[in-house]
Parts: sequence; C-alpha cells; structure tokens
Amino acid sequence: MTEIGKTREKRLVGAVALGLAASTAVVIALLISSRSTPSSYAVDEPPVLPASPEPALKVPSPVPLKSSAGVAQWASVRRAVSVRASASSKARFVTRLASATPEGTANIVLILRRAKDRAGRLWVRVRLPVLPNGSTGWVPRQALGVYGVVNTHLVVDLEGLTATLLREERPILRVPIGVGRPEWPTPKGEFYVRNMLTRYRSPFYGPLAFGTSARSSVLTDWPGGGFIGIHGTDAPELLPGRVSHGCIRLRNEDILQLGRLMPVGTPVTIR
Amino acid sequence: MSDLTLGELDRDGALQEAVEQVSGETRAAFLGKAVVGGAALLGALAVPAAGEAAAASDVAILNYALTLEYLQSSFYTEAERLGAIRGELKRVPRQLGAVERAHVTALKQALGRAAVKRPAFNFRGVTEDNTKFLKTAVAFEDLGAAAYKAQAARIKSPALLAAAISIHSVEARHAAWMRFLAGVTPAAAAFDEGKPISEVRGIVASTHFVVARPKRKARKNPKYSG
Repeated sequence: MTEIGKTREKRLVGAVALGLAASTAVVIALLISSRSTPSSYAVDEPPVLPASPEPALKVPSPVPLKSSAGVAQWASVRRAVSVRASASSKARFVTRLASATPEGTANIVLILRRAKDRAGRLWVRVRLPVLPNGSTGWVPRQALGVYGVVNTHLVVDLEGLTATLLREERPILRVPIGVGRPEWPTPKGEFYVRNMLTRYRSPFYGPLAFGTSARSSVLTDWPGGGFIGIHGTDAPELLPGRVSHGCIRLRNEDILQLGRLMPVGTPVTIR
Repeated sequence: MSDLTLGELDRDGALQEAVEQVSGETRAAFLGKAVVGGAALLGALAVPAAGEAAAASDVAILNYALTLEYLQSSFYTEAERLGAIRGELKRVPRQLGAVERAHVTALKQALGRAAVKRPAFNFRGVTEDNTKFLKTAVAFEDLGAAAYKAQAARIKSPALLAAAISIHSVEARHAAWMRFLAGVTPAAAAFDEGKPISEVRGIVASTHFVVARPKRKARKNPKYSG
C-alpha cells in the first residue's frame, strides 16, 4: 500500500471511532433522561445534614493492669472474728482479731491465700499481728472488708543496719537504721505495716511512726502490747546502731521520706 | 423522692441474687432492707434538677458516670488482681477491666479537678467466686447501660452526648456478653428502658459494696516498744 493509501485508511478509522463515541454519548444521555422522574430535590442539591459533633471525650485504648511484680494484698477486718487453724469454723481456734488497732486505726491483715469450706463458704488465710511472730490463720471472707493492694516491700537488714524499700521489686530507698539492743532484739521474720501515726507530741518517736505486725518477744508487757514500730528519733547521732527496745529507728528526714513512699499494708521482711 | 426497693428495679433479679448470695439474706428479708430513702449514701450519685446551668448539669452527669465507672473498674480490677476467677470467665476481668479503666481515665481527664474521688469498695467475695462474679457482672453492665441511657436526654452539650453514647454502646455490648455467658437472653426486649438516677442509687446502695474507707492513719501518741 502507498503512503497516500495508508493515510486515507487512518482517517477512515478515526471517523468511524468518532461517530461511535458520539452516538454512545447520545444513548447514555437519553437513558439518564428516561430514568429521571420528578422529585422534591435536584440531583445537584443533596439533603444537607449537620456535621456530627466531635465527642467531648477521647476514650483511650484499654488500660491493662500495671505490673504485678511485688504486689501484695491486704484486707481490713470488718468485724471482730475468731481465727482458725484451717478453713473451717470447726478448726482449732488460733486467736481473736479485733476490728481496730490500739491506735484506733482499722485492723488490717495481709492476705496469703483463699479456700472454700465444705459448705462453699470462702475463707482467707492471713498473716496475723500476734505472738508468736510469723503466725497465720484462716478467717471467713465475710469478716473482712476492703481489699487493698501495694507494690512496695520493706527489707530490714539487722546485720548491715539498713532498711531498703522496694517498689515492684526494685530498690527505691536505702537508709541507715537503729535496731534492738541484744537484750531487746528486733524480731526476724515476715511482717507488714499496720498503720501510720503523725502529728503526735512525742519527740522520742520523731515526726512519724509506722506500726507493724511484729511484736517484741521480750517486752510483752509493754503498753500497747510491745508492737515493733518504724519511727523517727530525737537522738540521730546514735544511728546506725543497736540502740532500741526492738523498734526500727530512722533519722527524721529518712522517716519522712519513707512516709511519702511506703503505704500502709506494705510487707516487711526483717532478716 | 419516693422510697424504692430493689425488687421493683432489678427486673431480672441478677443483682438481687448476687446480693442474696453475698449477704446470706433471704429474698424477703433482702427486699425489706433494700428500701432507699431520699438521703442515700452516695453523694456523687446526684444530678442537679433540670433548669440549672447546662455546664453544672453536665459536670454532675459526668461525675455520676465516673462513679459508676469506678464501681465497674474496681470490681474487675480486684477480680483480676486476686486471680480467683477461673475457666471460661478467666479472661473477663482482664478484658472488661481494661475497658472500664479507660472509661475512668477519659472521664477524669474531662472533669479535671471537678472529678469525684474513687470510693472504697468491699465486694464481699463476689470477685473470688465464679458464680457470684458472673451474676454481679451481668447486673453491673445492665445497670451501666441503663444509667447512661437515662441521662442521654438530659445532657446539654452535643459533644458530651456523643461521648456518652460511645461509652453507652460499649456497656451494652458488655451486658450482652455477660448475659450470654450467664445463659440469659442477651437482648430480651425490643426496647431498653433507662434507669433514672434514684433507681441506680438505690440498687448500688443495696449491694453494700460502697463502704467507708478504712482508717489507716491516726494522730495518737505511739506506744510501740521504742
């Protein structure tokens, strides 16, 4: 085919394509036209709805519990109750728990485990603030009240004469201490902080005192029962040392710092 | 306000059953004791009357919601911490607790200094027993959904309403899930009724779950061995 022949063929194909496009457009227009019906609004005027308001709160993602490392649970004693040696009301009587401490605060106990008796009643094994030190026993759940949680733990080193506060099992405070003289030793074992006293008028105890579940096994006739406290002092020059009647003495600035960091219910290990 | 009884309010009896199991009271004794007068103990569960300033009213509604979220989140959190819920329910405290804590976080951020403080709760063993836990969860989630619904029409701020609705639907989903697990029809009626604040307050008070915070500090002279 000559070049002229090729050019004529291209023009013919182009003309046919153009004609097809034009007729298609006409058909589509007719179709749209035929489907259109009289309506209350025009196609280019859709109904106008107000914009949805932005929520006033930004709800965050679900919040998982914080680390369970070093977590301990305590409970308040709701009513006076007999403590048993096992999870049964017929088990051996251990002691009687009051609902309040001698200082007038709620009596709290450290929760160790739980079990049900044959009747399906829930019992809780708790650490007790009684002699002999280290005693535990079972009480009905119904005798307990509010449960609390702490993630702190105080470790008292009688050899090194230091107290170390752990949070989530990591040390956050270490301070020098005074402990019991040889004739009035500070007891070793597992205990817990029962209460906190402040704004009293007794310089001997410094500005703040924690009560613990530990008791002197020597000074049993001490007023209040010989409970071991963790408190300040009016004789800081004696620290560190074996200078007390069994209590754990801290410098006043240290006991104030401990007061800010250590909640009631914190387990205490004395070793 | 007229006196209310739990029997009139808790139609499915889920909460009442939970309380019966917790307190050991018979149904008759329980319903007799569960009468709640005008001066209920939950101060936070109070909303200004209609007509007061919109902002104050909405803040009160937010605090009302926050108190209920405290109740739910504390319940699931305690159950998760104690680890006594087992079997097919084991994941419930973790999953619902995380969501309810998110609700608490959001409401506290929105309220700022106006947020009410978390009350103390004694859940009386329902967080340590599968059967009691599930019954209480059904009751709490039903209560949450009904409480949000009843307040929706009182919310002045469209933005706050949008937020409340977004929480309300989640509470309804939780309620349906807990009902399914308990073998109860997830949606028994075609239309849900809201529970006005007086009813919610009565139900919450009748559980005796909200208690005084244990006194852990005192100003007394120490008598420790020294």
